[in-house]
Amino acid sequence: MAAIAHGHDHGHDPDSPLHHQFEDIEQQNESYIVGMWTFLVTEVMFFGALFLMYTLYRWTYQEDFWRCHNMLDVTKGGINTMVLLFSSFAVVMAVQGAQLKKKLQVLGWLAVTQACALTFLVIKYFEYTHKFHDRLYPGVNFTDNVANVGGANLNVSQLFFGLYFGMTGLHGVHVLIGMLIFSILMVMWAKGKKIVVNDFVPTEMVGLYWHFVDLVWIFLFPLFYLMPKPH
Amino acid sequence: MSAIGIKPGDAPAEQKEPNYLNVSHTISSWLLTGDHKRIAMLYLVSVTFFFLIGSFAAGLIRLELTSPSGVILESDSYNRAFSTHGVIMVFFFLVVAIPAVFGNFLIPLMIGAKDLAFPRLNLLSWYMYVVGGAIALLGIITGGIDTGWTFYTPYSSMYSNTSVSTVIVGIFLVGFSSIFTGINFIVTVHKMRAPGMTWFRLPLFVWAHYATSVIMVLGTPVVAITLLLVVFERAFKLPVFNPELGGDPVLFQHLFWFYSHPAVYIMILPAFGVQSELIANFARKRVFGYHFVAFSSLAIAGLGFIVWGHHMFVSSQSMYEGLVFSLVSFLVAVPSAIKVFNWTATLHKGHVKMQSPMIYAIGFLGLFTVGGLTGLFLGAAGTDVHLTATYFVVAHFHYVMVGGTMLAFLGALHYWWPKMTGRLFHDGWAKITAILVFIGFNLTFFPQFIIGWMGMPRRYHYYYFAPEFQAYHIMSTLGSSVLALGFILPGFYLTYSLFKGPVAGSNPWGAHGLEWETTSPPPTLNFDQTPVVLDEVYDFDPVTEYEEAGSAQPVLSDTSTSTPEKDA
Amino acid sequence: MASSSHASHTDHHHHVVPTFTYVKTFIALFILMVITIAAAKVNLPGVLFLSGTVVNQLIALGIATIKAALVIWVFMGVRWGTTLTKIWAAAGFVWFILIFLILADYTTRSYEQAQSFEPGVKESALPRAPIKSFQEENPNRNNVRIRQ
Repeated sequence: MAAIAHGHDHGHDPDSPLHHQFEDIEQQNESYIVGMWTFLVTEVMFFGALFLMYTLYRWTYQEDFWRCHNMLDVTKGGINTMVLLFSSFAVVMAVQGAQLKKKLQVLGWLAVTQACALTFLVIKYFEYTHKFHDRLYPGVNFTDNVANVGGANLNVSQLFFGLYFGMTGLHGVHVLIGMLIFSILMVMWAKGKKIVVNDFVPTEMVGLYWHFVDLVWIFLFPLFYLMPKPH
Repeated sequence: MSAIGIKPGDAPAEQKEPNYLNVSHTISSWLLTGDHKRIAMLYLVSVTFFFLIGSFAAGLIRLELTSPSGVILESDSYNRAFSTHGVIMVFFFLVVAIPAVFGNFLIPLMIGAKDLAFPRLNLLSWYMYVVGGAIALLGIITGGIDTGWTFYTPYSSMYSNTSVSTVIVGIFLVGFSSIFTGINFIVTVHKMRAPGMTWFRLPLFVWAHYATSVIMVLGTPVVAITLLLVVFERAFKLPVFNPELGGDPVLFQHLFWFYSHPAVYIMILPAFGVQSELIANFARKRVFGYHFVAFSSLAIAGLGFIVWGHHMFVSSQSMYEGLVFSLVSFLVAVPSAIKVFNWTATLHKGHVKMQSPMIYAIGFLGLFTVGGLTGLFLGAAGTDVHLTATYFVVAHFHYVMVGGTMLAFLGALHYWWPKMTGRLFHDGWAKITAILVFIGFNLTFFPQFIIGWMGMPRRYHYYYFAPEFQAYHIMSTLGSSVLALGFILPGFYLTYSLFKGPVAGSNPWGAHGLEWETTSPPPTLNFDQTPVVLDEVYDFDPVTEYEEAGSAQPVLSDTSTSTPEKDA
Repeated sequence: MASSSHASHTDHHHHVVPTFTYVKTFIALFILMVITIAAAKVNLPGVLFLSGTVVNQLIALGIATIKAALVIWVFMGVRWGTTLTKIWAAAGFVWFILIFLILADYTTRSYEQAQSFEPGVKESALPRAPIKSFQEENPNRNNVRIRQ
């Protein structure tokens, strides 16, 4: 293997978003996008185990799971789905603004996204408090009132609600983290920080994360809220 | 195709040039570095620290087993000892060591890049490791864990009164460290190879780490969520593994082993990569069947995800599933066997120089083969019923993990020490150490095959029902003392070399690879000018290079022999 | 050679997607959501060997998959992305499916039961010698102390 050295350097333009380890901006952009996708694949596997668990237990306890799910509010779930879908749309508009370097478009649509995320969390809050009020929280204080679980077996109900809180809770944590990241992103855009203004890829990466959050909810919604009646 | 003339021991004046070690000396320049080489050194210090703690726990275990009725530990304490040993060694040493130290250091060098794709993510990786390790240690000190490193439910989720949650949080953070490293390696290998460095010109070390990174990325999140659910069950009473409420404890085992079996491939694949480098360079011969070795790494990564059930033959899982898992377990042995055959074939008609890294490599070849073959005994569902949860399993995985990964780690440490530190160590001591390690290892673990076959259960601190095992246990403990000596010695002569060792040139071993074409230690940006690769890495010219190759002694004057430096 | 202005940094890979494409996708997603809620309220009849429950569930999951595909293809930019991105998106899906292999255990357990002990049924016990205590088996071993 012969190594011929060839002179190389790229100008150390302080305004350039190019980092030293990359040869050109295209390589950098692709690297960041591929890196973000790899991270999202890990998130898919993270939630994947939970979806498996849900599948197994629902298949084992179909009737009881169906009865418990009747305690969930489809309206709230539907509004949440709408809100998240719209927030996904808002995010792509923000990314488009970043590509066109239109600061106002970015800030505006990111604000819309934040509003949607906040709405989602507020609705979730109401759902959760209603469940806590009915003592549907797994543990020693789980309700002993069969009516509260729609007539299902009380033990299996703890399993259902454990999965419900676990999966939607984990999803909610991801929404919250997304809100934090969006806040940081908005501050950086507002201040005109070069790292986001000169290069749209950071904004796009955050957008990818948010789409993933939306994807998880797209599957959670029908699985928990739209269960068909088992025959 | 041409060979480059390798001049062993270039001028020591190179040492005065700024390299990644001496470019800055402040603590913050180390703790806030983005340089992959510095991060690799940070990892080296931390993994050594955790290795020592894990070894101490191992010492306790071996001490306890010298008498049929136990020596100094109560049952509860012994449970903590082997759980600590397992958790520290698996999650904080084996999974991390070779990729984080040598992968981090060498992958950019080997592909001709200036750094990894995401240097700050790399640093975050190290911090997650250190913080996770600190939290796990905190858990171990404040009560320990007695569940075994496998955390089987419902004991770990419902009944154990130990610091399970704390330790799991530590493991969870280290999992992130793994994931970030994996992301970094994958993107770097895909996107940052030097001009001319096609996939099939890559050193096999890089292939191995690429496959490892794929496993890290795909498998680690599953164990992360599984262990997190155990914590949720302990803390919030989420009843997912609680049989009284309808949960299934065996589901935990499925999810746990879904990661933990690929995890053992995370532990061994980088070792395979090291082994390819050592064998090729010390036999001065191209690795036989390069493509087969490269693809077998990917095959192991893929097949490794569908064999997890061989840890669960007696767990009440479906017998049909057991059948399938047994079959696929035999299949997954094939790529590993291909590698072993190819390395052996590489040695054939090579010009072998038995310097210390080569001794480790040859040791690996033998010990890994034994470990791999005994794995087949365990992969056959019928014999596994007899052998599972005995010392046969313990001996098997120690043969592959210590005889395999640990020997590869030591071999890598010795081989790349001159590159990483710019110093040469005394190879005589290193050879003695390698032989001590080999002897001590076999003395420790071979008797365990025998008593395991005879029925000695694992995780028992007494065996009064079978006092005839005592002789074997004492032999094993004796061996572990020799092994410990072998592990301690490098601490002395390697540290000594840092201060008093001769200065190394860029290629003291006369090896091939882009990492040997820059100074020892390399400058921060690795290469003064980006290399352009024109041919594969292993094109040795055996005769001339053997005569010319360094014996890890510096050549202070430029007395290189006839082979001219060729370009193109 | 030094990079100066970045006004021309429009990479071929990241062409700006027209707003209308996004709007169309969003409307499609919204409509699909309405359909899935409406379909869930109807108890569909069974088809061939599938029960009505399964049909309903398959439709719900199918619609969810289409929604996910739209989000991934358009919103996440895979349509205009590099081959590597496409491979990664596919790989994640494939590996996600792999976890569901775990279900193979539970679905096949009934095929061939391993023999087990049923409480109360003496004949179901595997033949084994009666277990003696250590003292019974080793009455003369005085020098072995049992530590608990």
